[in-house]
Amino acid sequence: MPSPLEQVAWEPCILEPQRDRALEAYARRKQGIPNPAISYFAPVPWLARALVDLHPEYGLLLRLDHGVMDLVNLVVCQENSCRFCYAAVRAMLWAQGLSRARIEQMERDLLRADLPPRTLAAMAFGRSQSRTGPAGARAAREALARAGVDAEEMREIAFAAALVDFSNRAHTIAAVPVRPLERMPDRLHTRLMKPLVNFLIRRSRSYGRAQPLERIPEAPHRRLLQAYAGSPIAPALGAALEAMWASPVLARRCKLLIFAVVARGLDCEACGPEIVEALRKEGLSDAAIAEVLTHLDGPDLDRVERQVVSFARETIWYEPAVIQRRARALREHLTGPEVVEAIGVASLANGLCRLGATVLEPHENPSSQ
Amino acid sequence: MSWAFGTAALIVLAVLLAALYRQSRRAASLQVQLDAAAIELQHLQEACSRLAPAGVVQRLVAGGGAEADTAAERKVVTALFADLVGYTAMSERLEPAVLARVLNGYFQRASDVVHEHRGHVSTFLGDGILAYFGAVQPNPWQCDDAVRAALAMRAAIKDYNVELTREGLPPLGLGIGIHRGPGLAGMIGSRERREYGFVGPTVNLAARVQSLTRVHGVDILVTEAIRERLDSRFVLAPMPAEAVKGIAEPVVTYAVREDAKAGG
Repeated sequence: MPSPLEQVAWEPCILEPQRDRALEAYARRKQGIPNPAISYFAPVPWLARALVDLHPEYGLLLRLDHGVMDLVNLVVCQENSCRFCYAAVRAMLWAQGLSRARIEQMERDLLRADLPPRTLAAMAFGRSQSRTGPAGARAAREALARAGVDAEEMREIAFAAALVDFSNRAHTIAAVPVRPLERMPDRLHTRLMKPLVNFLIRRSRSYGRAQPLERIPEAPHRRLLQAYAGSPIAPALGAALEAMWASPVLARRCKLLIFAVVARGLDCEACGPEIVEALRKEGLSDAAIAEVLTHLDGPDLDRVERQVVSFARETIWYEPAVIQRRARALREHLTGPEVVEAIGVASLANGLCRLGATVLEPHENPSSQ
Repeated sequence: MSWAFGTAALIVLAVLLAALYRQSRRAASLQVQLDAAAIELQHLQEACSRLAPAGVVQRLVAGGGAEADTAAERKVVTALFADLVGYTAMSERLEPAVLARVLNGYFQRASDVVHEHRGHVSTFLGDGILAYFGAVQPNPWQCDDAVRAALAMRAAIKDYNVELTREGLPPLGLGIGIHRGPGLAGMIGSRERREYGFVGPTVNLAARVQSLTRVHGVDILVTEAIRERLDSRFVLAPMPAEAVKGIAEPVVTYAVREDAKAGG
């Protein structure tokens, strides 16, 4: 069952896997089956957990059909040329009982137009959010509305696509090995265990329940979290963001700079001002911020910041093998956990910036919130 | 009677089975072709995304090209125009096959450098190269990228000249002009052949500035529009303002010496 992405060049993995039994057990409990990538991100626990906790199919959706979400996943993975995530989605579909022929049929349908109009609109929306980012956000929203999708469902589709953007980048930049997943449906023991895997996956997938947003973390992305008030997405995303900011591997200012560079590269008017405001609170002057965002460098940056700022802009638009080689070069300057965290923060920034541009109105003053 | 009827029924059944078999073979063959076409289309779309903005590719795929015709966008882009110095004299001295090999080696190195610095080679014009920064994807760092690409082209040509000299071939000289400004980006060309391009005075001025490299005896020149957005760590030298064809005012340019950040 060769996938269209199997010809995408993929470098050897740049991270050393690190066994963390507690994390592995956590992922297994939540996803029903072992997560083959979790050990690569174990040095930065918030990242490993976010890659599990933010998956929409585990209780974060209220309205969006899981089948439609799977198709949005597939097109965004294709868009980002992420062999790992694409193979994972295919393996999940196969384990859930879809025959190889049916999966191949679905892949052909992604390029043709014989799916229901709402599904096609959701796929086009996910593709646009990932591909053109803020520049195409308004047109994508309008197209979805024309297909009869309401605002709440639109926000869920946008979150599903943003999560895939995040996950795709994390797995692609780290060059997590893909062959075991790509070969999974061909192996005898996985074929024999397919009914059990299917049962475990189905048991772990669920829709969420509406829940009030009791607390918004004191950090950027308050407006984004408010946009999801009432949805289980808000507390899950809030917790992931809090854990990311609290992580001691890279300094908070360094992480903010990554977010700022990604927002600048995407020309995102929705997220950029909030991040710049947070950088001011970290003691960077307006002139220093402008210098960094204009030239990706500045005298106020320390050694690590200088490296991650240049790296962050590479994660906005990339070819897998090129970004993988650049991430490998980063290892010469940063420690192992610093590289993992830089990959994680840049990946999350790309997902959230594209999401913010889609679900938030620009030009609002963040300080008034 | 019943024997004849049975035989006829068997013949009809055999014919039907043969037809069914042929149809199933044909369906399988069509399925294989469809799969191959789908994968090819996917690859084509990915390849096109490197040559034109993703939104344009999306519209081309969805609308069969018609919609993309009307989808030209106003953009601010940095244009880099590079030309070989002394190419005409060299073309008269070298065998066409040798000339083509030398030229291809130069084009390959220059294209790799442009790509490495997030630029997009739009056209090869004789011995010239026209590249854009910020045309295919938004790029707020396009001026720095273009000038770093020019410096990397200078280094690449220097390395290439070592190879050429070793083969007894004349070394190449390079002139590069860089300018930034607005224009219209979109699919340009005839109905039969079109490419993603950028039109406007920005491209003309980049080409004119490139020709000024001969006047000033330098290899890389940038305009004031580039200088004012450039990282202050680039080492620039102001050149006297010169009149150029098609521009009313004399053009102020700066020669690029080095990128102090990269240590030269």
